[in-house]
Amino acid sequence: MAHAEAATKFNKNEAKVNWHDKALWFVRQKRDRQAHKIQGWEHLRDYASALKANVLSNLDTYLIQFEENAKKNGINVHWAANAEEHNKIVHGILQKHNAKKIVKSKSMLTEECHLNPYLEANDIEVIDTDLGERIVQLAKESPSHIVLPAIHKTKEEVDELFQEHLGTQPSGGNPEYLTREARKHLRNKFLKADAAITGVNFAVADTGGFVVCTNEGNADMGAHLANVHIACMGMEKLIPQEKHLGVFLRLLARSATGQPITTYSSYFNKPEEGKEMHIVIVDNGRTEQLSREDFRRSLHCIRCGACMNTCPIYRRSGGHSYDATIPGPIGSILSPGKDLTKHSSLPFASTLCGSCSDVCPVKINIHEQLYKWRQIIVKDVPQPFVKKTVMKAAGSVLAKPKTYDFVGKTARFMLKNTPKSIINSKVNTWGHARDLPEVKGDNFEEWYKKRQKNE
Amino acid sequence: MSRESILKAVKANKPDALALPNIDLSVFDEDINLVDRFKENIEFVGGRLLELNGLDHLDTEIKRLYPEAQKIVSCTKQSGLGTVSVSKETDPHTLEDIDLAIIKGSIAVAENGAVWVSDEDMFVRALPFITNDLILVVPKNAVYLHMHEVFEVISKREKTFGTFISGPSKTADIEQCLVVGAHGAISLTVVLY
Repeated sequence: MAHAEAATKFNKNEAKVNWHDKALWFVRQKRDRQAHKIQGWEHLRDYASALKANVLSNLDTYLIQFEENAKKNGINVHWAANAEEHNKIVHGILQKHNAKKIVKSKSMLTEECHLNPYLEANDIEVIDTDLGERIVQLAKESPSHIVLPAIHKTKEEVDELFQEHLGTQPSGGNPEYLTREARKHLRNKFLKADAAITGVNFAVADTGGFVVCTNEGNADMGAHLANVHIACMGMEKLIPQEKHLGVFLRLLARSATGQPITTYSSYFNKPEEGKEMHIVIVDNGRTEQLSREDFRRSLHCIRCGACMNTCPIYRRSGGHSYDATIPGPIGSILSPGKDLTKHSSLPFASTLCGSCSDVCPVKINIHEQLYKWRQIIVKDVPQPFVKKTVMKAAGSVLAKPKTYDFVGKTARFMLKNTPKSIINSKVNTWGHARDLPEVKGDNFEEWYKKRQKNE
Repeated sequence: MSRESILKAVKANKPDALALPNIDLSVFDEDINLVDRFKENIEFVGGRLLELNGLDHLDTEIKRLYPEAQKIVSCTKQSGLGTVSVSKETDPHTLEDIDLAIIKGSIAVAENGAVWVSDEDMFVRALPFITNDLILVVPKNAVYLHMHEVFEVISKREKTFGTFISGPSKTADIEQCLVVGAHGAISLTVVLY
């Protein structure tokens, strides 16, 4: 389904859309307050961008260095070319330990690889332990936002889900009560887990360690209780040196939720005595994206979600309308690289206002890449007949000043004199929810000429 | 294993080498009172700061703040309130009903209210997360302005595990309503002395 079509569905509940829009804009404003509070914010973004560019240009060297150091510290390192291999590796480790109950903290990579259904098909229980992720897991949905997975759900919906699955009392959606119940429910899962899976926020080449950030403490509860810890990372998560964590940890939470840092930023270098630690390094299309000069900067992404919170389209269309693991502006430049036909409508789900690029902590030129994907898509993917015809017509009108002048005059006359019922008829999608602007007397050229004559 | 093929593809597809930037830390300088900034931030993230002149009255203060706590783990000689003893060999699962943990924090970060807690100071890695309430005891002269300074200070440590803790665990996953006390500790007090 094209993005616009899916967005129309989300927009059926106007009150919910308005709430969604405002809630995310509020997060954007919190981000601004935190960013402006510290000295040298723009320098931080510049450094982060330059560091990531350096990483991509030396990625093979850093990967080897990281592997070597991790192994020295007793961490097992695995390599997966694609989602399937990643899932097999994880399953293999679990099988070796006869692990049947797994707790998992947030990892967009394992979403991308569809790890849960794979493990479940192999008779393994996987519990998502981030509260938002647990909510969407119980609802059999996918996260609609990479940092706020259940932002599309109302508290009443969560209340019903918990009554059904956790046996809670009806509370009218009391967040305190529901969170307490989730804490009890998940604590039990942590205590009984055979293995823990986490994502990786940053992997450090010169130490072979990695950092996992959460607010809830779920990654740590899982990793430190279970005997086996498997950390899954996309290969672009590397940073060169430990001291560079200073740059990235200062940017991440401020950009994501407007916190000065996440509650927990845990830095794993060695497994605890008697326990096992594994890292799975995953490609799954990343080397291909690396080869695309115009799009490789998308691999700078540290998954903060700031571009989603600020995007006027995302806020009003909801994450599920993108039908991709990573929604929003960044997802719209990553997804076409994976499946151009399936995701061909995504680069058009943007006003190209550039707000995403302005807030991006690693300075990805998101809106420029969206525009570049459009250039490729109109050439490679068949476009709807109406769009093609209209674009062609517009092209020929704009190319000829005389035709443009004539069409402009006609359009202004029509807008002034045609009844609204015709102007806002079905073919004019713009008119479905709003009126066209009022037409004033002259066009710019006429106005300018008169002005020159001092009329 | 796909190691070789991945590395080969990366090598073929990576752009021309770009230099590692040199970070000029002077652009992040701020002339501020570090303890004040730390206090402001730890309160912002839902934690509590207790400033003491020395540790003579530490236990009295802790008892005042957590009068109900029964099962207490103290990982530092600075407090004698521990009722449950813990060592490197302790099975973390046995800590599930700990009321209060008292742990040394080696560094406090003014810019974000975080405290760095290292493996050796927490004995069992699960402890600062699984405990109901958490107290971190940090010397006043260990407050640093920002994370760049902190990574410089901890660069020589033995690298095993460590965590920055900024406030109690929290979530806003239900309609963006902030609830303190998700999976980790439900309250955090930092003692600066």
